[in-house]
Amino acid sequence: MVLVPLLAFVLAATSVRTRRSAANMAMLGALVTFALSLLVAWGLTRRSTPFQTTYPYLNVPVAFTGPVNFQGFGIDIILRVDRLTSVALLVLEICVIGGIAWHRLMGRSEPGGARFYALVSVLLFGAVATLVSYDLAELFAFWGLAGGATYLLLSHRWGSVESSLGGRIALVLPFAFDLSLLTGIAVLYSHYGVQNIANLVPILHSTPGVGVKSMVAASILLFVGVTGRLGLWPLSLWLTRTATTAPPVASALAQSVWSVVAIVILYRLMPIIAAPNVATLRDLVYASGVAAIAAPLLALFGNEPRRAMVLAGSGVAAIGAALVVHAYEASSTSFAVVGVACVLAAAPARAAATLAVSAIAAAMRTDDLAEMGDGRRRMPTTTAALLLSGLVITLSAAGAISLAVASGSRFGFALGEAVLLVSITAMRVPLAIAIGPLRRRRAFEPDRVREGPNAALGWPFWLVVAGAALAIASFFPAWIGFLDGQKHNAVPANGVALWVGAALVGVVVTVLTYGTNKDGALRLSAWLGIGLGRLLDGGAAAFSRFIAEPIAAIAEHISDWIQQGDGELARAAAASGRLALAAARAPAVPLIVVLAAALAVAVGLLSPGVFR
Amino acid sequence: MILAGIALASPTPAAVPGAGIFTSPLILSLSIWVPVAVAIGMNFIPNPRGRYDTLMKQIAFFTNLGIVFILFIAYNQFQTFLPGMQFEEKLPWLPSIGATYHLGVDGAGMTMMVLSGIIGITAVLASWGVRERVRSYFCLLLLTQAAVNGAIAAHDMFVLVLFWGAAIIPAALLTLGWGGPRREAATWRLVAYWGLGTAALLIATMTAYAASGGGSFDMDVLLKATLTPRVQLAVGVALIIAAATRLPLFPLHGWVRDVYSDAPLGVSVVIAGSASRLGAFLLLRALVASNADASRLLAPLIAILAALTIGYAALVALRSVDLRSAAAHLAMVPGAITAFGFAALTPLSIAGSVLSLFTGGLAAALIVATAWTLSDRAQTRSLQLLSGLAPRMPILTWVFVIAALGLLGVPLMASFPAETMILFGSFKTQPVGAFAIVAGLVLTAVALAVLVHRVLFGEPNHDAPAVSDASLGETWYLGVMAGALLWVGLFPGGPKLPGTEQPIFDPGLVNVMSAGLSDIASPYVPPNPAATQ
Repeated sequence: MVLVPLLAFVLAATSVRTRRSAANMAMLGALVTFALSLLVAWGLTRRSTPFQTTYPYLNVPVAFTGPVNFQGFGIDIILRVDRLTSVALLVLEICVIGGIAWHRLMGRSEPGGARFYALVSVLLFGAVATLVSYDLAELFAFWGLAGGATYLLLSHRWGSVESSLGGRIALVLPFAFDLSLLTGIAVLYSHYGVQNIANLVPILHSTPGVGVKSMVAASILLFVGVTGRLGLWPLSLWLTRTATTAPPVASALAQSVWSVVAIVILYRLMPIIAAPNVATLRDLVYASGVAAIAAPLLALFGNEPRRAMVLAGSGVAAIGAALVVHAYEASSTSFAVVGVACVLAAAPARAAATLAVSAIAAAMRTDDLAEMGDGRRRMPTTTAALLLSGLVITLSAAGAISLAVASGSRFGFALGEAVLLVSITAMRVPLAIAIGPLRRRRAFEPDRVREGPNAALGWPFWLVVAGAALAIASFFPAWIGFLDGQKHNAVPANGVALWVGAALVGVVVTVLTYGTNKDGALRLSAWLGIGLGRLLDGGAAAFSRFIAEPIAAIAEHISDWIQQGDGELARAAAASGRLALAAARAPAVPLIVVLAAALAVAVGLLSPGVFR
Repeated sequence: MILAGIALASPTPAAVPGAGIFTSPLILSLSIWVPVAVAIGMNFIPNPRGRYDTLMKQIAFFTNLGIVFILFIAYNQFQTFLPGMQFEEKLPWLPSIGATYHLGVDGAGMTMMVLSGIIGITAVLASWGVRERVRSYFCLLLLTQAAVNGAIAAHDMFVLVLFWGAAIIPAALLTLGWGGPRREAATWRLVAYWGLGTAALLIATMTAYAASGGGSFDMDVLLKATLTPRVQLAVGVALIIAAATRLPLFPLHGWVRDVYSDAPLGVSVVIAGSASRLGAFLLLRALVASNADASRLLAPLIAILAALTIGYAALVALRSVDLRSAAAHLAMVPGAITAFGFAALTPLSIAGSVLSLFTGGLAAALIVATAWTLSDRAQTRSLQLLSGLAPRMPILTWVFVIAALGLLGVPLMASFPAETMILFGSFKTQPVGAFAIVAGLVLTAVALAVLVHRVLFGEPNHDAPAVSDASLGETWYLGVMAGALLWVGLFPGGPKLPGTEQPIFDPGLVNVMSAGLSDIASPYVPPNPAATQ
């Protein structure tokens, strides 16, 4: 199951030449992986313990004395699949299959077809291997591999300035998050000498010499590393900046695959993150809550539809992360899995939304919602897919929240706000596209806007169906119990109604607003977007002018000084050499007399009684 | 000596990969003196008007191939469980001053020898395009490789200083005779900085020699002698200066920009790949392994230098307008990480640094060679002209990306386990330095992102000169280095059949490099927490 995508990549890299055969190879690999994942999931229904196997990768003896844990260093490939992992595998494989199928038809104009599909196989391999990893270094290795493939996918469009700028951010920011994750793992290892998660958790509090500060540092580093890839605001910049520059499938997979992988890893690492103290967890909950509100709120600033959908999905991811962390903060760890369920439900819908909105933006030749419209008539199927994906994104969090959060609490109130904002954001884009006129512009004829190939239209719908099924399932305690193997009580109907109602209120508000005055709403968003853009540009310019440029200039000047300095030293050495040569040729006795006289004068002048 | 080595060769008794071929008590001497003998012999081959230039190149190539073969045998026969030196050779040389011809390698030394072998053959392939005074060029290249091998294998400080200094002369002559427009400045900087390092090493050696009673230069005696703390400190500082000029570390890095930019490609590969690693190897052999007190005192200094180096290199690369200059500065990053591992002084970080000697040498050589080749193929080094080359140079694009990922220590690259071990081993003893190194790696990622996206993935510049992709020969030497990085990254412990423990045909670099590590790291083992309570 783990090796199949890698095999697909190897075959694609070594023997495949055409776009079609590369697509077929990637699809075959994804389908076989999906089938094997189904087999594993079926096997798990027949047993109560996870599947696990271990292979040694690296084993270095470094000392013969000292603490046993530090006498050797090893990285084992520990593959462990429980029910939650198997469901996550199926979800991400569905997203990959849908993406490949869509790209086969809609991505014909993208450059480097064979390269693209090969990288998708690498991403699938890395993501699958990360999900089944239980050794921290192994987890990071596959995480990094998937990250490298993601970067290459997001910077796929060579020759474009925008893609180049987006690609830089796609490399640097996630790399910084990945280093944060590695640093957190390094801090843990430096204190415990253990990398197997199952062996590490029991000794977190029983190992002498480990202080709270170190644990807090490790927790924060791990959290930042994981949530950076999860796309929590403000760490979602690498997703929003590449939403328009990367191929649509690359952006869709970056959002969906990484949200699934990151939330499952966050859930898996929570016993470690929760180890230091409750105050740390509280801060992490606050951070997640702020992200859950800020992301969809900022999506209302500006009219770029793809960015808006990315931020809506980011809001749902933040809700999921907040639920996971809050469960540990409130010592109700059995509810942590609802956060995972929420993100799993949203992932296919996010992918579908990205594909649909990209198709619409390409057909309407604009990235501005104010210039879009009449989608329900000109592109009814794709618009419907976008609308449904928006609804699924909106409702994906409701079920999970209803199971885990008390509505009367401050946390519940914050999440309610987040759900409301997510629903507004997620519905705003499809409604703006669906209704209102599609105006004629220079070199653009609205009558030429039409749907894509028929075969490609169904794939966003299939993804939406998968997301909807997971979202509906998350309302049922039996599903949550299946994921974590524990029993959960049913939620009263009024609790469910409250959270669904919050989401529906957002939908209704959006429908009313855009239904009555779409242009006014979009003008307001545009104005807010311009203001935000100016603020961000000003901040970036200030950072560049007062911090980045001076530091880089100092380094450059030091380099030049060193070059000049040793050049001067060389000239001084050459001059002293010439002087020595001249002195060797000069007559010795007169020279000695002159030097003695000069020395006598100097000593005489400096002696007390003359000038002093 | 060669005849003796061949005459004494015998079939390998043990059942190891490479068994049944041969073993010899003079393996290390063969790797040093065969290139010297071939270089001298080549001078007697008449080559009127360059008629036999190809023959000269072939002689150099097959000499290096032979060295690689010998080293491969030695690598496979290396006993990973023995703590001491292996393949030892000891002959009295200057008994009046206590100098002996003493060679030997432990795990770290064997790792360096393997690196030197790979770099040697890569350098010859990279030099295939040399057209002028070919015989002289390859003679000097072989002498440079021999000096590097000698410095690695030397187990006598007097011999080490000789080989250390001997590497300067052929490298300088190669740079001066076959370099680019700024070859004179490059040569003088190389001689000045490396000469300073050699002087510092000589001072350290003579100080330790005098303080220990002047009996012997042998490392087993000299480096284990009891010295006063002040002498230990002085020797340690001199060794750090020597290492910093060679690795290099900020601020003794002044030769890097000119040499990597204007030296011939093969010379740049040798210097970046193996000759510069001698700096870190010296730190390991002469400071960390022998002088625990001085190591602990000077560890913060090394950590500071390493952190400054990585930050400085990334920032200057970011501002550079010359591709080769940017690559030259980025090539300093692996050396800084290696040095930092020695500064952390934990068994794990030391092990990581030993592995990083190999991976860092390959990564540095690869980035320098790729930048050199790319600028040569694009007919310009200016980053203002180079843009959007990926569609027209797919091979070089892939190699450049692999080089960038190798510098960053991305998983699947050999530098990943090395950097992981260094970081994992350093957070307890040097937390601030470790964070600084991580920050430096982020800056390096920024610099690489800007470089890669400007040169490869940006909008094509139609005013730039015409470009062409790497030729078959160029692909070979770049592929050897990239392949070695990937191979060790995928199979650090050697490829094993599923279900078995014994590696097949490659004993695994981490298994070989760990021989003798426990002894080196024993003074730095953290106390057992139960024992202190």
